[in-house]
Amino acid sequence: MFDLSINAFFMQLLTGLQMGSIYVLIALGLTLIFGTLGVVNFAHGALYLVAIYLAVSINDAMGFGMALVLVPTILFILGLAMERGLIQFFYNRPHTDQILVTFGLAIVIQELLKWVFGANNIPFAIPSWGNGIILMHEWFPFLEGFVVYPKWRMILVVVSIVTVSAVFALLHWTTFGLVIRAGMRDSEMLQFLGVNINRRFMIVFGLGSLIAGIAGVFGGPVTQVSPEVGMHLLVPSFLVVVIGGMGSLSGAVLAGILIGMAQSFTAYDINLSTIIIYLITVIVLLVRPRGLLGAKGVFE
Amino acid sequence: MTDVKSDKSNKSASGWSRRDVLKASSVGAVGAATPMFFTKNAWADGHDAIGNYPVKGSEVVFGFNVPQTGAYADEGADELRAYKLAVKHLNNGGGMLETLKPSKLTGNGVLGKKVTYVTGDTQTNADASRTSARRMIERDKVIMVTGGSSSGIAIAQQYLCHELGIIFMCGLTHSNDTTGKDKRRYGFRHFFNAHMTGKALAPVLSSEYGKDRRAFHLTADYSWGHTQQESMQQFTEAEGWATEGNIMTPLKTTDFSQYLAQVLNSDADVLVLNHYGANMVNSLTNAVNFGMRDMQKNGKNLEIVVPLYSRLMAKGAGSTNIDGVLGTSGWNWALQDEGSKVFVKAFTDEYGFPPSQAAHTCYVQTLLYANACEMAGTFYPPAVIKALEDFEFDGAGNGSTLYRGVDHQCIKSMLVMKGKSPSARTSDFDYLEVLQEVDRATADYDPSIFPGELGPYKPA
Amino acid sequence: MNIQQGFLQRNKAVVIFALIALTMPFWFPLLGGYSGLDTKIMIFCIFVVGFDLLLGYTGYLSFGHAAFFGIAAYTTGLMLKDFSAQIIPAIMVAVLVSTLVAVIIGLLTLKRTGIYFSILTLAFAEMFHSMAMAMLQEWTGGENGLTGMPTPMLAGIKMQGDAVFYLVTLVAIIMFYIAKRIERSPVGLMMRAIKCNQQRLEYTGINARKYKLLTFVISAMYAGLAGALMVVYEPFVGHEFLGWHQSGEIVIMSVIGGVGTLVGPMLGAGFMLYFENVLSVDLGEQWLLVLGFIFMAVVIFMPGGFMEALSRLYKRIKQE
Repeated sequence: MFDLSINAFFMQLLTGLQMGSIYVLIALGLTLIFGTLGVVNFAHGALYLVAIYLAVSINDAMGFGMALVLVPTILFILGLAMERGLIQFFYNRPHTDQILVTFGLAIVIQELLKWVFGANNIPFAIPSWGNGIILMHEWFPFLEGFVVYPKWRMILVVVSIVTVSAVFALLHWTTFGLVIRAGMRDSEMLQFLGVNINRRFMIVFGLGSLIAGIAGVFGGPVTQVSPEVGMHLLVPSFLVVVIGGMGSLSGAVLAGILIGMAQSFTAYDINLSTIIIYLITVIVLLVRPRGLLGAKGVFE
Repeated sequence: MTDVKSDKSNKSASGWSRRDVLKASSVGAVGAATPMFFTKNAWADGHDAIGNYPVKGSEVVFGFNVPQTGAYADEGADELRAYKLAVKHLNNGGGMLETLKPSKLTGNGVLGKKVTYVTGDTQTNADASRTSARRMIERDKVIMVTGGSSSGIAIAQQYLCHELGIIFMCGLTHSNDTTGKDKRRYGFRHFFNAHMTGKALAPVLSSEYGKDRRAFHLTADYSWGHTQQESMQQFTEAEGWATEGNIMTPLKTTDFSQYLAQVLNSDADVLVLNHYGANMVNSLTNAVNFGMRDMQKNGKNLEIVVPLYSRLMAKGAGSTNIDGVLGTSGWNWALQDEGSKVFVKAFTDEYGFPPSQAAHTCYVQTLLYANACEMAGTFYPPAVIKALEDFEFDGAGNGSTLYRGVDHQCIKSMLVMKGKSPSARTSDFDYLEVLQEVDRATADYDPSIFPGELGPYKPA
Repeated sequence: MNIQQGFLQRNKAVVIFALIALTMPFWFPLLGGYSGLDTKIMIFCIFVVGFDLLLGYTGYLSFGHAAFFGIAAYTTGLMLKDFSAQIIPAIMVAVLVSTLVAVIIGLLTLKRTGIYFSILTLAFAEMFHSMAMAMLQEWTGGENGLTGMPTPMLAGIKMQGDAVFYLVTLVAIIMFYIAKRIERSPVGLMMRAIKCNQQRLEYTGINARKYKLLTFVISAMYAGLAGALMVVYEPFVGHEFLGWHQSGEIVIMSVIGGVGTLVGPMLGAGFMLYFENVLSVDLGEQWLLVLGFIFMAVVIFMPGGFMEALSRLYKRIKQE
């Protein structure tokens, strides 16, 4: 049953943080693309899927370092190609069409990967420096006795924090970020001012894809590598975006952690844990339709 | 006046014709459609027509319904390989036709008819599997349907086949319900079940890990998981173990860390993962990440048990993770009895690698069905069912085996398996080693412990 | 004068549909179809026609219509199992239950528009799905599905084979006729007005919410009826009936057929089920990949679906 000892509480907290980290990494790309381009990208889960398959293959062949360099790079290029080849034709189409075409693309990507790699799971070996456990009771004296947590999952949390910070820094402290943020407000006005917004939009899409690449390299050993993973993550990540407020980066971070925590702390009761994420979605959207930190007027 | 009249006649004419069109077309359609399915032209060789009996023409069609898309697609692909091999052997001889005893199989088709087959995709979705099975039955006129890689799918098809008078030979299904609560006269299972796993595994566990153990269960929240957990708890407690806790995990779970956190907080020194497929791969990998393989609890090594093992799951989890982990299997290609040897050789010659346990059970099921038809001398389903019920045979890879009549469960020997370490592996198909062969008497159980009725020999 | 002739004229689509549907057992096997599949296609025709009233006419995209389909299916199953094998009371109760659920969900979700409405309906449906899988396993059978129903009966007729097909087809024709009537009625006008510009409609003093809710509930009733008939057709309820894949499939059927045309979605339903169950066999393991490509191609090149393709073709032939 629900255990309120300090150890149990601490473990649930870490687990919630760690589960939230993956949601945040995937939702970050989704919400960035939505906020700037106004595109609902149902293929984002499939981009993550591409990333984990690339990561596990490169990791096995050339080691983790190469995977860390190559996977986000390839994903960035893939994102650019996807924007030029498909998404740009859907900027002026209804959201329904965007959802449907990207959903179709997600099926195609998933089935192609299944064709190449098979439906079975591929074990993703954690590099030796990330393997093992952290003895939490040595770091946090308030814990009683023996409390451990996998090192890799803590690394994942750190990576997620670094990535989120980098994206925030990029958007707030660079000219590129300034233009993008202006574009999120009013892209038409920006074009009147002679800014080539299209090229920047393309780069934003690549950036969202690149974040999925980073998520894949570090998330792969946790989410595992099988064709179903993309679709499994798609719905919760999408709910995270909506709960946080579509297009709001800080909202996605907040909502991701919230959902992770909610799932972790309801684990003792299956009836609650299976519906908690939907329950939160319904409550948030009914009470505060624009999402927790959503901008006023966006899709309200 | 004339206006009214014409209006009236107009109305009746048009109304009549409309209704007539409907009526005539529906009557016509019924008449024309009837011969297309379920022709009840009775009394071919003394039996009335049931399902797709009598079989017309010089060929008899089997239906192989396996997962081709979704999480179990690789297992489905291996099942399909085994089915194709079985058809080849039925038509041309070879394989287990040489070792199955008693056998009336000739290697020249079944009852003088050449065996052909159609395939379908269950999508590991009960509704899709039923629609696919219906296609085979209604359009392709199969006499028997077989396949599947999970219990929900097997049960859904078993009910459908029973209603339509088609024999269903289960593929891989391990839930007690398949031959327990949901048993059907037209459904047969060669694979073992969760109850047998518990019975066979618990004594081995207590001899390996000692009698003074505390188990914590993580259980997939569906029928198979529940029966597996109940059986494991019952039999480990009979060995003297204590059950520290059990958490139901949703079937869709991909990250088990929130549950493992609770396990670590308990006094348990054994973790039982009542999971299959992707659930098992994820929960085992997560547990290893939590350092559970190198941990001590109550002064003993913390152990992980996976009651139901398969080669694909072991491969998916990776051999560093399964190294030394115990579980059960129905069959393994390393077995050295005659039946297993000829099957492995034939399969390897055909496809270049050894078969999985799913392939084995599917292959044997096809042969057993064909043999029952030969024994009955007819494809008439009630006669074939009677031939299969209480059929005693040997030479199919599990020693002397009984197809029990009261619940259609095969009673046979089974295997306790141990995960191989990466260095001990010899090939990409070599993940598990046989720790112990559990004989048929140990695996046997009283069928009356489960509810359910087989139902009549002739479908309603 | 000539009211009846007018009837035929006005309902040309319904008559053509009736003719095609009722003769299906003759021509469908020639295409590799079979009797179980034609019944299923008819059931999904009912489902998508109702769905199109919502999506095609008011523009509200529901990602949770599986909820009504599944709830009705479970209700029918439980009625057949525990009350009576007679289908009429079972169907009536099932449609009633899904209607009630639709009223509640509609009141809550229709305050939102666009993507938020889609997500809310998705969340509600997934909640029901999770409940059927976990909390309500005792009743729903969880992963194994609800089994053990008797053969459904209509008075003294066993609902098997042809009997089910003709019953379902008759219902489908009637429901299509009703949908056509709704399309032409003042309510239909309101529905289209909501799609065009909801705000302007409200400025004219019309209570748009009332009409939105009405449409939502009607389309849920169609879904419920389809769900109930699904169990009459096959006495089995799978948890997949409630899943988001089911909701998604309905959206896909409607879009590739052509939303807002009523006929298009039915074409889409026929195509999808035919592809999934007949053509897939020839394509083998990669059938889903091919379907993904087809689906993308339709959305990219034919936003109006099959109906757009047909009307383009028709125009071209007319020009020549």
